[in-house]
Amino acid sequence: MVSFEIKDLSFFYPNSEKKALNNINIQIEQGEFITICGKSGCGKSTLLRHLKPILTPHGDKTGEIFFEGQPLLKMNLREQASKIGYVLQNPDNQIVTDKVWHELAFGLESLGLDNATIRLRIAEMASFFGIQDWFMKDVAELSGGQKQLLNLASIMAMQPQVLILDEPTSQLDPIAASEFLETVKKINREIGTTVILSEHRLEEVFPMSDRAVVMDNGEIIVCDTPQNVGERLKKNENDMYVSMPSAVQIYGGIESNLPCPLTVREGRKFLDSLGLKPNDEYITEKKQAKNPAETVICLNDVWFKYEKSGKDIIKGLSLEVKKGMIHAIVGGNGTGKTTALTLINGVNKPYRGKVKLNGKEIAKYSGKELFSNNLGVLPQNPQALFVKNTVELDLLEMLSDKHLSQEEKSNKVNEVAELVEITDRLQMHPYDLSGGEQQKAALAKVLLLEPKILLLDEPTKGLDNFFKIKLGGILNKLISNGVTVLLVSHDIEFCAKFADVCSMFFDGSVITTNTPKMFFSGNSFYTTAANRMSRHLFRNAITNEDVIKSCNQS
Amino acid sequence: MKDTFSGLHPIVNFTYFTAVILFSMFFMHPVFLGFSLVSALIYSIYLNGIKAAKFNFLYMLPLLLLVALINPLFNHEGVTILLFINDNPITYESIIYGIASATMFISVIIWFSCYNSVVTSDKFIYLFGKIIPSLSLILSMTLRFVPKFKAQIKVISNAQKCIGRDVSNGNVLQRARNGIKIISILITWALENSIETADSMKCRGYGLKGRTSFSNYRFDKRDKSVLGTICGLILLMIFGMVLGENTIDYFPSIIFKEITIISAIVYIGYAALLLIPVALNIMEDIKWYHLKSKI
Repeated sequence: MVSFEIKDLSFFYPNSEKKALNNINIQIEQGEFITICGKSGCGKSTLLRHLKPILTPHGDKTGEIFFEGQPLLKMNLREQASKIGYVLQNPDNQIVTDKVWHELAFGLESLGLDNATIRLRIAEMASFFGIQDWFMKDVAELSGGQKQLLNLASIMAMQPQVLILDEPTSQLDPIAASEFLETVKKINREIGTTVILSEHRLEEVFPMSDRAVVMDNGEIIVCDTPQNVGERLKKNENDMYVSMPSAVQIYGGIESNLPCPLTVREGRKFLDSLGLKPNDEYITEKKQAKNPAETVICLNDVWFKYEKSGKDIIKGLSLEVKKGMIHAIVGGNGTGKTTALTLINGVNKPYRGKVKLNGKEIAKYSGKELFSNNLGVLPQNPQALFVKNTVELDLLEMLSDKHLSQEEKSNKVNEVAELVEITDRLQMHPYDLSGGEQQKAALAKVLLLEPKILLLDEPTKGLDNFFKIKLGGILNKLISNGVTVLLVSHDIEFCAKFADVCSMFFDGSVITTNTPKMFFSGNSFYTTAANRMSRHLFRNAITNEDVIKSCNQS
Repeated sequence: MKDTFSGLHPIVNFTYFTAVILFSMFFMHPVFLGFSLVSALIYSIYLNGIKAAKFNFLYMLPLLLLVALINPLFNHEGVTILLFINDNPITYESIIYGIASATMFISVIIWFSCYNSVVTSDKFIYLFGKIIPSLSLILSMTLRFVPKFKAQIKVISNAQKCIGRDVSNGNVLQRARNGIKIISILITWALENSIETADSMKCRGYGLKGRTSFSNYRFDKRDKSVLGTICGLILLMIFGMVLGENTIDYFPSIIFKEITIISAIVYIGYAALLLIPVALNIMEDIKWYHLKSKI
C-alpha cells in the first residue's frame, strides 16, 4: 500500500522569487525506510514539513499530496496528530514537560485517551525503548541522547503509521547518534512503521535505507536504492558527492565496473577486488612540523574538579600546543575535553598544576589582556553570542569599545565577513541564518577581537560536509596568518582532514599526541572509515582523498 | 527511611496535612498543642532523620523560647499580675499564652517541613490539575523551564566571558550593561527555541478538544480506608469543637472545660489523627520484621 504520494509539488516562500520546492514527485510505500539528503538549505526540511500539514510553512503551493490514498489536506487534525509522527532537530526544545513519564503521556493526553489506556501505552513504549530506568526522572537530568530517544518514544506512543525525522541526530555525539539510529531502524524493521529521515551523517543511515533521495535546489535529482544512488551520482559527477559515506566517495574516485559499496565491510571487499598491491609510501605528511616551533599553550600536570568532594574531571593533564598549528583534541563523550578548554580560557581554574599562555600563567592575565588580541573562544552554541538584529550590527558591536572611525570599523567588519564568506548575509537576523552560517557569523565575531589563539568547541556540530570543508578552509587561512587553533571535536573525519596535530583524550588526560597520519593509522577502532577500509593495503591513508590517490597510483 | 504515608494517594496526603495544620493553628488548648508538637517532632524525625532532629533542636527550640519570652514583655493583659517591669505589669496569663502561641508557631513550622517532603511538586500539580487541567500543564512546563534557563544562562555567560563581556569584566557601568546583554540574549534565545517547542506540541495534537490529564496515581483500597479514618477523626474534632472541648480562653483569666470522658475521647481522637503516618510506618516495620523472621 502507498503511504505518501506527492504529485508535482512546488512551493514558494512568501516574498521569495526562488522555488523552495520544485516539481517534486515521489511515491512512498508503507514500511519503507527513506533517507533524504542534500546540502543545508536544499529544501529537505521544507519537503518534510509539507508531509505534516500542521507544520507546513506559509507560502504559495501547487501540486498535491496524498496520504494512504486520501488528500492530505482533508485529513482531520486528530488523525493527523496520531498517524503522522514528526521528530524535530533539537532534543531540548521538543520536550514540553518536566518529567519523563509526563512527556511520554503528552500526546496521548491531547488525544483525550483515558488513564488506563495511557498507562498501558506508556508502559509499552518504556519497555520497547528501555526507558524504564529513568522513567520517573526529571527531564533536566537526561543526556542529549536520552532526550532525543524520549522525543522519539513520546511520538511512538501515539502509534503513528509514518515516522518523519528531520535531522534528528545533528545535535548528538556519534555514539548517541548511532544508538538513536539503531532504534529508528528497529522501529522500521519490527513494527513496520514507514520512516522518512533527513540526515547529514550518512555513514550509518545509508546502509539502512531502502531508498535514498538526493535533493539540490529544491529538486529531487536522484531517488533510488542507496547503491544505485552512488553509481548514478558518479556518472553525473555531482558535487553532492562530498556528503556521501566514505565508501561511496572512494568508489566515486576510482575507475571500476563494480557495484557501489556502502559500508566499511563492503568497501574493503571492493578495494580487494581491485587487485591492488599493499603499499605505504604514497602518502606523506601534509607538512612537517616547523621545528623548533614556539609553544603557545602549555598545560603542566593540571588537575580539576567542580566541587571539593566531587570527582576529578581532569587528571594530570599535560599538553603543549605549538604556534601556527591546528591542534585537535578527539575523544569520547564525558572524558573532560570541553572542561579542558574551559581551563585554558580561564572560566574554570585548576586546583593543581599550571596553565600557561605564551609562557605567562593564565591567572595573571587581566580579562582585557586575555581576550583582546590574544585568546578567542568559539562556544558550542553560536546563539550564545548574538545580541543585535542584523549580523552587521552584531559584528560592529564587537568594535564598540575600540577607538576607531566609522569607516575603519566597517572596513574591519567587511574584511572579516569576506574571510568567513558571509558578506551576502550581513543584513539578515542572526537567528535566520542556517546552522553553518550561524557558526561562521559567530566565528567572525570572535575574529574581530583579533585573537592569536583560537579555541573551538565542537565546531562541526550539526554542519553538513560542505560547511565542514569551508570551515576547514577558513581555519587553514587563519593559521597561515600565524593564528594557532585548538579544537575539541567528536568528528574524526574532520580532524583527520584538517588538523596538524591530534591528541586523544581519555579519562581526564591526553593519552597520546601525534600527527594525524601517525595518530589514526596507529589506531584500529578510533580512526576514520577510510582508514578502516584500506588499512590492510595502505597503512597511512586516512582520508578518502588519500585512499583514492593511493589506489590510482598503484 | 522510606515513608509509607508518602506512598498513599496525594488526596490522602493533602487532606491529612490541611486538617493537621489548620487544627494546629486554631486549637490553642494546651493538651492539643502538646500533642501537635510532639507528633510533629516524631514525624519530622521519622521523615528526615538526624537532619530534622538537628534543625528542631538548634533552631526551633531557641525560637520557641524567644517567642515565649517576648509575648509577656509586650502583652500586658490578664488578671494575675506577677511583677512590674518599668511600670508594666507582667501577668501570669500572658506568660502562659506566650508559651502556648510559641508552641503553636513551632509545631506549624515543623508540620510544614513534613508537608514539604511528603507532598512533592508533582503531587501538588496532580491535585490542582484535577481542578484546572491546563494549570497542571503550565506548572509542569514552568518547572521544565527553570533548570533549562539556568543552564542556558551559564552557557551564555561563559560565552560572553570569553569575548570579555561578562558581568565580571570592566567597571560597574560596563558590568551592568553586560548583565543586561546576557538577559537579552537569553530572552531572544528562549523565544526562538519556544517556536520549536510549539511545533513539537502541535505535532502531538495539542489543542484538540477533550484533552485528558494523565497521572501515575491510583486510588486503591488502602487509600480509601486511610482517608475514611482521617475524615472520621476530622468529624470528631469538629464535634469536639462544637462542644467546646478544645477551646480555651487565656484572657482575662484562663478558662477551659473540665476533663470528662467526652473530652478524653476527643483528646485521644486528636492524637490518633496526628499520629496516623507514624502509626502506618510502625505497622509496616512490624510486618517486615515478621516477614523477614519467617524466611
